[in-house]
Amino acid sequence: MKYPVITVSLAAATMALGFSAPAQATGKMKCEAGPESGWVSRADLEANLVNKGWKIKKSKVDGGCYEVYGTTPEGDRVEAYFHPVSMEKLLVLRRGKELFRKK
Amino acid sequence: MTAAFRILNSLPAFWLVLSLPALALIRGYWTGDIIAMDMLHPTGEFSARLMIIAMIISPLITIFGNRGWTGWLLRRRRSFGVAAFGYGMLHLIFYIIDMEALGPILAEFWAPGIWTGWAALLLFVPLAITSNNVSMRWLKQRWKLLQRLVYGAALMTLAHWLLIHDGMAGALVHFIPLLVLQLLRMIIIYGREKKNIAQVDSPQSNLA
Repeated sequence: MKYPVITVSLAAATMALGFSAPAQATGKMKCEAGPESGWVSRADLEANLVNKGWKIKKSKVDGGCYEVYGTTPEGDRVEAYFHPVSMEKLLVLRRGKELFRKK
Repeated sequence: MTAAFRILNSLPAFWLVLSLPALALIRGYWTGDIIAMDMLHPTGEFSARLMIIAMIISPLITIFGNRGWTGWLLRRRRSFGVAAFGYGMLHLIFYIIDMEALGPILAEFWAPGIWTGWAALLLFVPLAITSNNVSMRWLKQRWKLLQRLVYGAALMTLAHWLLIHDGMAGALVHFIPLLVLQLLRMIIIYGREKKNIAQVDSPQSNLA
């Protein structure tokens, strides 16, 4: 009975590990934007970007900024950081390569 | 009982177990719970993990000797390896789905975190193609030499993971055990060879 038990526990352990992805700040960008109650919503930011010609895959909070994964109006597939109050574009990265950084 | 045991312990049952995470993930994608972008991390991680399991079987045999459980693992090494390739292909397919077009894929091709992934997968192709008895017979000793490409694939996978992902913890958790076991294996093999040489050099010393 030993081997099937090993097979199953091996699979269970790998599956359990496979779906653990802790959400932590990446340190790529930091925003000091005050309490979240004063932020524009992610939905509003996304709508604003779509209006400007962006295509959005997903967005989340990272380092107190909004981080957006998507395609720029120029057609670059990127991750981009926006200020959560002013919605200003702060940083645009393509697989780690900096395409834009706010001066 | 024995018939049920045999079925549970069979290779086809094992393939089924190895494919369960893929089936769960694809189901999640199908139902819309997981977007293509979020399929990349789990498929890549399973690929790397299965490759590492396939790679630690030899060190485990060197360390623990031929035992029931090491033999059990050895009989499944090909399954682990082929499954690693399968998850790697899933990883590629969802990358292409996520990127949507050739333009953006080419635009980022030379990013260090990207070309290393392509290289790892490319190295995996001859390994997967020759993971069958016919190829083993046909290639004879060269088969083993060819399969050593897996070390290159592992290095590329590690580089890809470290460069593409925010945070090194995930990659290190997987690759440090591999490194430790490979080192231990080399130390043990080196020790045995040294002992053999010493015995050949001075056979009298055994009598002392």
